[in-house]
Amino acid sequence: MASSTVPRTTVVRSSAQPGGREEHALEVENIVKRFETAEGTVTAVDGFSLSVAPGEFLSVIGPSGCGKSTLFNIIGGLMGGYEGRVTVSGETISGTHPAIGMVFQEESTFPWRTVIENVAFPLEIIGMDKRARQMRARHFIAMVGLDGFELRFPSELSGGMRQRVSIARTLASEPRILLMDEPFAALDEQTRLLLGDKVLQIQQDLRQTTLLITHNITEAVQLSDRVLVMTYRPGRLKRVVKIDLPHPRDSEVISSDAFGRYVAEIWHDLRVEASLGMHEDESRARNEKSKR
Amino acid sequence: MAAAGNVGAIAPTAQRHVLWLRAAIIVVVLAVWEAVAASGLLFRDVVPSLAVIGKAIGRLLATPDFYRNLSITAAEIAGALLIGGLAGVVVGIAIGANRFLARAYESFIYYLGPTPKIIFFPIMIMWFGVGPGSKVAMGVLSCFFPIAVSAAGGMREIDKVLIRVGRSFRVTAWQMVSKIYLPAMRAPIVNGIRLGLGVAIIGTLLAETKLSNRGLGYLIIQAYSVFDMPRMYALLTVLFVLSIGVNALIGRLATPGRRGVD
Ligand SMILES: Nc1ncnc2c1ncn2[C@@H]1O[C@H](COP(=O)(O)OP(=O)(O)OP(=O)(O)O)[C@@H](O)[C@H]1O
Ligand SMILES: [Mg+2]
Repeated sequence: MASSTVPRTTVVRSSAQPGGREEHALEVENIVKRFETAEGTVTAVDGFSLSVAPGEFLSVIGPSGCGKSTLFNIIGGLMGGYEGRVTVSGETISGTHPAIGMVFQEESTFPWRTVIENVAFPLEIIGMDKRARQMRARHFIAMVGLDGFELRFPSELSGGMRQRVSIARTLASEPRILLMDEPFAALDEQTRLLLGDKVLQIQQDLRQTTLLITHNITEAVQLSDRVLVMTYRPGRLKRVVKIDLPHPRDSEVISSDAFGRYVAEIWHDLRVEASLGMHEDESRARNEKSKR
Repeated sequence: MAAAGNVGAIAPTAQRHVLWLRAAIIVVVLAVWEAVAASGLLFRDVVPSLAVIGKAIGRLLATPDFYRNLSITAAEIAGALLIGGLAGVVVGIAIGANRFLARAYESFIYYLGPTPKIIFFPIMIMWFGVGPGSKVAMGVLSCFFPIAVSAAGGMREIDKVLIRVGRSFRVTAWQMVSKIYLPAMRAPIVNGIRLGLGVAIIGTLLAETKLSNRGLGYLIIQAYSVFDMPRMYALLTVLFVLSIGVNALIGRLATPGRRGVD
């Protein structure tokens, strides 16, 4: 592939310090990413940092085009050529890393594989024998509530079910850190809320360290322990909002006053950024029109 | 075959009509043939009557010699498809995956593809001899191009996110090819093989009729040279039916029974 400019995991520096830094499962320091385009250099991410504690559910929220997917690809090791550092439990990584499991924004199930074959994919890759991986796959299929659909093909499922297959597939690789890029973006509001419940419940059960990238405020508040708000391009950290809603939490929480306050607070910050993005899009469209 | 697929897509009554139309055209062609044969307009031997051809087919199918030559030709075509197909898929994947390779070589493949490969036959004779070797080489030359072009196109059409999924699970290069590229490219590859088979048959038979010492093409040209028209038509008919059958069989592979593959 032309895109394979990023090496598969290379551990650049192992700094497994006893105690001390171990409180961070994932740490991202001062990431800067620029793209060279025909119209010049675009700084997609500009000095962004974050850290996720073990078992924490952290969301990064930002307007469309602020560099969220760029950040996702950098952390997941699919994109190179950036400044800054990504560390997993104190170890600097470049390239993909087995500790990080990714769920993509786009539809990403393998259409030629059944549900169980899809979920067993990462296990097949590491050479687990068929019986063992089928058993493991069944476990994770049940976890996302798709038991009974093992032998269906993705084309026979709804969009929400397909996204659950993708999530189960990533969970099956048992990553220390679950990294998701707008996994519910293509779903309707109701499915999104219910699937959010499911994901949160799994996250709590597994004490799964999770980094969710989203532009949906409801989703961020519903699921997260902390929400990081990003600025419009270049993407910088604007604000950190700690969500002190009690656990166990389900989508009923959206009707509570506290929930409303969090949403309002985040929207207050996000509104400015999102309208910046919109203005820029509009003026670009106007420029293009006048050029013609 | 594509036509057979179309029939399946329409209502049963319409389907019956299509089948009738199909049968009708065959009957018309045969009737015209028979009329020409009976009229004596052309040399009697150039257009033998259907009964004579039928008898010749019967005779042909009863000789072991026919099966020996048939299996030689079949083996040549199979060998050509195997070599040309593998090379085509490998080159197609390389070109589909790599922009520089594509820019460098894709135009060669596009422009060489439709040129008549028979012009290379003298060279192949010199390299591989008068026997099956040069026929396989001609078949390979013929089928490589359509397969490479389809594979390159199929490669480019793979949903990029699936490749990223593979990378995120840290697949090896070989796993990427065997577990993602190839299954994702199944339909275009099968289609390329179908096109490739067609031209491999043409290339191989054309070579056999030019210069050879065995194979079906050799039998045809032999019948022609002794002016045994019924035998020649018998050979052509059998060949025609076999080609259609093989094409239909490969077409089946492209549209498997399981859903969700397209
Ligand atoms: N390969 C690339 N080449 C050039 N520019 C790019 C590239 N990838 C992203 N960008 C630019 O970087 C910015 C951030 O893109 P990114 O996809 O990270 O945004 P996002 O926050 O994920 O948006 P969305 O919410 O719409 O998914 C955008 O302005 C985009 O145009
Ligand atoms: Mg994005």
